[in-house]
Amino acid sequence: MILAQPCAGQAAPRAAGELAWTIGYDPKTFDPAKVDDQESELVRYLTAGVLLRFNRSTQKIEPKLAESWNLSSDGRTLTFQLRSGLQFSDGSALTSRDAAWSIRRVLLPATGAPVAQEFLSPGGVTVETPDDQTVVVRLPQRVIGIGKVFDEIAIEPAGHPSEGRITAGPFVVADYRRSQYVRLRRNAHYQERDAAGTALPYAAGVRLDILDNPEQEARLFQRGEYDIINGLPPDYFELLKRRLPSSVRDLGPSLNTEQMWFNQASSSPLPAWEKTWFQNRDFRVAVSQAIHRADLARIAYEGHATPAYSFISPANRAWYDSGISAPHEDVAAAEAKLASVGFHLRGSILEDASGRAVRFSILTNAGNAARLKMATLIQQDLAALGMQVTVVALDFPALIERLMHTQDYQACLLGLENVDPDPNAMINIWLSSSPNHQWSPSEKTPATPWEAEIDRAMNQQAGTSNEAQRKLAVDRVQQIVADQQPFIYLVYPNALYAVSPRLRGAQPTVLEPGLVWNIERLRLQEAR
Amino acid sequence: MTFAHLARWLLTGLVLFAFVVLLVSRNSYSNQDRESPLAGASVLHPAGTDALGRDRLVRAAFALLLSTGGAVTASAVTTAAAAGVGTLAAFGPASVGWLAMLVCDVFLALPWLFLLMMVRSALPLTTSPANSAAITFLVLAALGWPACARAVYRGALGLRKAEWALQARAGGLRSGQTFRYALPNLLSLLLPQFLISIPAFVIAEANLGALGLGIGEPLPSWGGMLLELDNSALLVQTRWVYLPVALLILMLLLLEALVAEV
Repeated sequence: MILAQPCAGQAAPRAAGELAWTIGYDPKTFDPAKVDDQESELVRYLTAGVLLRFNRSTQKIEPKLAESWNLSSDGRTLTFQLRSGLQFSDGSALTSRDAAWSIRRVLLPATGAPVAQEFLSPGGVTVETPDDQTVVVRLPQRVIGIGKVFDEIAIEPAGHPSEGRITAGPFVVADYRRSQYVRLRRNAHYQERDAAGTALPYAAGVRLDILDNPEQEARLFQRGEYDIINGLPPDYFELLKRRLPSSVRDLGPSLNTEQMWFNQASSSPLPAWEKTWFQNRDFRVAVSQAIHRADLARIAYEGHATPAYSFISPANRAWYDSGISAPHEDVAAAEAKLASVGFHLRGSILEDASGRAVRFSILTNAGNAARLKMATLIQQDLAALGMQVTVVALDFPALIERLMHTQDYQACLLGLENVDPDPNAMINIWLSSSPNHQWSPSEKTPATPWEAEIDRAMNQQAGTSNEAQRKLAVDRVQQIVADQQPFIYLVYPNALYAVSPRLRGAQPTVLEPGLVWNIERLRLQEAR
Repeated sequence: MTFAHLARWLLTGLVLFAFVVLLVSRNSYSNQDRESPLAGASVLHPAGTDALGRDRLVRAAFALLLSTGGAVTASAVTTAAAAGVGTLAAFGPASVGWLAMLVCDVFLALPWLFLLMMVRSALPLTTSPANSAAITFLVLAALGWPACARAVYRGALGLRKAEWALQARAGGLRSGQTFRYALPNLLSLLLPQFLISIPAFVIAEANLGALGLGIGEPLPSWGGMLLELDNSALLVQTRWVYLPVALLILMLLLLEALVAEV
């Protein structure tokens, strides 16, 4: 009966001028059109040449392969003017033909590109190439934030999709060893130069080691094997702060949220009385009021998190609204609220009106120390109300199986990573018909009047380009969510990074991909 | 005084100490002192607190009692089951013996870790921590008997062919009747089996706990506390993280020494 430990891996030897860091798992695909997971998205970000780039630091759209672009006043015609003399990494010329082919490929249903959905009705989009340098895209309807969609469309050689081996971006995929590493090589034909006229990118290559073990990652970082740690866990932040004080960066609240929710799906296999609890607004609000969010941030995140009451983080300056009134921590009010809907204490155990003890489990994913700590803290917070909570950590596949398929769970604690500050990107979570509408997925019609109202407000903000109206609609959604607590927001984890003192040019941002958004300008200081 | 004697006294002392700690301490194993997470030793928390501000000494003492109590119970169940099966197989008809040993072999061939994982994942999510602890040890006991039963079977077969048994049978006793005289003779075999199983179960529970499949939070278990050692960020903050592993190794050493005595 010996516990097998995965043997401690050694980082692959580093090529000269190569940057190295880790990714948590194997990218599911190298085809830039089919990207649907975070690590594939990172590889696409590092390799793909795109017409427009959403600058993660200024949060503005910048032309990249396009020299200029414009959107017609009705919001339905985009015109891109390509730079002259563009080349792919194999030296062949990049013209509007390649750009049009790549955009059409993404739009084709046969490709199954997740990006296509962002065009709302991809079937009606047409792409024209009046000349070698011009691409015109016509949309059947206005799309909010259409510029950002082109940040996700890689321009590939027409007719020759290469899975990242021939690109117009800073790097190309050079080598991939399953569950070991992805190696990227500098694209010598990349068109961009720095102010001094030096060709970018500075780094000769990038090695992404596939490693999901913060302990090992921190150790190898300290030995100089890795140059950065993206998304450093809070406890390791403190460790590195002691050992290499200049290496750690806490950028304050990220756009991401950690939240807990109750399963309200009427089709779930839960007993009827449990559904009644979870569908009861006062029950959810009481739970929310009993949770000491400041303790969660201080203990589970060692202070590197901010209490959260809404889905829009204060880091999101354009959309954050401090005027939302959400139920704050108040145990007495929570008790009164529960009493008002028939819950009562028998001894120290809370019972509902028909005498059933309030007992439920909170699921979370195994391996995330902060979430497990939060769940255990919440367990004690809710014990103060007389609720008996068990904490269950499941591995991710088992968790997803319960959330998405069997719906056999009572409450769940997970996080949501927001890549895009525009709340329109979260539309698939808020629309009641969406399979990602976690508390009650894929409703045929909104189950409650407030869900119908969220649907209306979300569709309203998606259908207009008037920024003031959009903000009002999103504020409305935030207020409904605060009142109804379908998601009980807990904290905004801070964006934590570690940067090697040898790395030059790092300008961390809270937006993904965090430290490496300006990969072209990152380089290692030469050893003397 | 031999080492085994010393071990017996130390073990008793350790268990008594754990009881005293639980009786005397103002902290409970689940109480979170949120003002002082990961604190060092203090008057209120003589061995500091864990990442959630829970008293380390109380948790270690509770884990010690829980794991020892659970392992002793599981071991008693296992040994009793093994004694039953082993002697029945030896003294019963040959076909029964053959069948019983076949069942033993099947059990020994089972991938027990996966079985445990399956059993644990099949439990309802709301299984309380106390029940999860009981079930863990029950499953360990249910899986632990076959090796022991084989040893008992061999021993009992030897007894069945012993001269006194032959004489008894010659005197008119049936095979089933010699059985009750055989049992006391098996004690010298059962006691070590019982003692050997205890540390094995303690370790098995710690392994399961480290995989997140053992005793549920907030009940303390060796496995859960040992997991902290996998985090160098914790190790630099407090040395008290080593307390559980030191106690566990001491416990195992003493338990093994007891086995050596008999």
